[in-house]
Amino acid sequence: MTETSLWWIDWTLNGRTMRRESAVRLLLLFIAASGFLVMLLSGGVDRFLAGQWSVTALLAPSVSEEEGRGIAAKIADLPGVAAAEYHTPEAAWKEFIAAFPGLDSIRTASGNPLPGYVEIRLRRDRLTQETLGKLESALKPLPQIEKVLAGGTWMPRVLGLKRWVNAFLWSALGFLGLLLFTVFAVQERSRAVRLSGDFAFLVGRGIAPRGIAWRRAATAALVGGLSSLVALAAAAALLFRLDTRFSWFRKAVGPWEDLLTPALLPGPVLFCLLAALATGAASRMAWRAAVSPRP
Amino acid sequence: MIEAFRLGAAVGGETLWDGLDLAFGEGEVWVVTGPPSCGKTLLLTTLRGLRPPEAGDVLVGGLSLYRGKRDAAGAFRSLSGIVPECPASPGGDAPEGAGARDRGATVADLFRLSAMALGGMEAKERRQREGELLSLVGLEGRAGETAASGIRERALASLSLSERARVALAAELFRSPQYLFGDMLLANVGRDWTDTLWALFRALAREGRTIILAERTIPSQWPAAKAGGVSSAGPFLILHLGPVPATPGPSSRGEPGNGVVLRGGDGDEPGLPPGGEGEEGA
Repeated sequence: MTETSLWWIDWTLNGRTMRRESAVRLLLLFIAASGFLVMLLSGGVDRFLAGQWSVTALLAPSVSEEEGRGIAAKIADLPGVAAAEYHTPEAAWKEFIAAFPGLDSIRTASGNPLPGYVEIRLRRDRLTQETLGKLESALKPLPQIEKVLAGGTWMPRVLGLKRWVNAFLWSALGFLGLLLFTVFAVQERSRAVRLSGDFAFLVGRGIAPRGIAWRRAATAALVGGLSSLVALAAAAALLFRLDTRFSWFRKAVGPWEDLLTPALLPGPVLFCLLAALATGAASRMAWRAAVSPRP
Repeated sequence: MIEAFRLGAAVGGETLWDGLDLAFGEGEVWVVTGPPSCGKTLLLTTLRGLRPPEAGDVLVGGLSLYRGKRDAAGAFRSLSGIVPECPASPGGDAPEGAGARDRGATVADLFRLSAMALGGMEAKERRQREGELLSLVGLEGRAGETAASGIRERALASLSLSERARVALAAELFRSPQYLFGDMLLANVGRDWTDTLWALFRALAREGRTIILAERTIPSQWPAAKAGGVSSAGPFLILHLGPVPATPGPSSRGEPGNGVVLRGGDGDEPGLPPGGEGEEGA
């Protein structure tokens, strides 16, 4: 393409404004990309909740350590289970004393009163009442498992609240996206109005108005897609930095390397596509604000 | 050839002209004059395919601009150029160039726009062509001028009316249009440039191009066609300055038949004022 190609008409005629607008868009896209990546990794409060809360399957006193490990391995294979770890009775006792020091007197002459147990953590994307119910149904009939502790009556409320909080967070992200589109549309409109005389010049010299409009929209979409790619890269770099530096961040949001898994990779791709579409659509909509040539 | 058949126009419910039959051939220079607000600019706009007439049609090369193929008018405009009455003027109300002046665009920006209308051009080639055309209209290569202080980097809004008109003309010639329209071009460039423009239009006509100007008066020193070179149509008096003679004819003092317009249409005197001098531009 030459310097005066119609594809880059806005950059040719109004380069300074384009650079300024692009800087603003890049910043806004970076904020949106950061929020998007955090939500993608964490699922809202899912990651935090899944990390904090676990289901405990108390084993019968007759279950040996070997048997306990075997049960834990089988539980880990159940759908919706992220990890299942067997704790020996002795380990359980140490944990109890650590939590309640000074109560070691309850250990009788017959030995450790506490049984071994399996600590079960659910996958953050399967932390639902349904998954919980299925797990309980699978574990309770087993003779080796004496009791399943799953949060009692308050867990369903917590899970219900989790859904609302997640909906709010995703809506906030959606609102940010809408705000971005509005900013793009306002920028495109004001630029189109400012360049309307130049468009009239070109239309008056035989350039089809539709041709100008679609070329501008296509270039806007291309630049929008590339900008979103840069913004995503910057957001991922920030995520990496925070993830490796602050353990609480990693616990709440999740490991940054999960972004590279096949399950989450479509997310950033979709972000770029949406950003490209939004900028292209904003440009096309703003074209109507540009004055057609008048006699 | 541009042909207009039974052309009619109305503005605000009022008929400006009706039943115009016009024909502008290749290699010819035409000047359309008329009293103020008689619709000269409107006629040019209609002939260019930008505004459908209330009656009649315009044909270019036998193809209708308004009743034929959808892109016929656009295709014609790609072959034509227009120097508007208010070329990127700060006080002008024409939409063209309005954006340019608002964002402090320079002369070089206008040429970039023209190159864009041409479909794009390499920067080096564009600058070379710019220089040639600006020199042609007396706007480059002046004493003491450097690249930085030259006309190309000056804002359009800072130019005089005559300079703006000449820049606009150069920007149109940049695209080598087959048909060139000018609205008050002679008035805007001023008396000092009318001879130069005559020589330029003569050269363009020899190349087979068609020049159509809308003016209020005709410079007296322009050579006139033989008898029959003047015709009236509606409120207009139309002067045909072709076939182009090899050398300019003697200046006319309004002798009938020499094509210099003396009498107007509706009681006004759109031609030469007494004394035979053309109206001065800015």
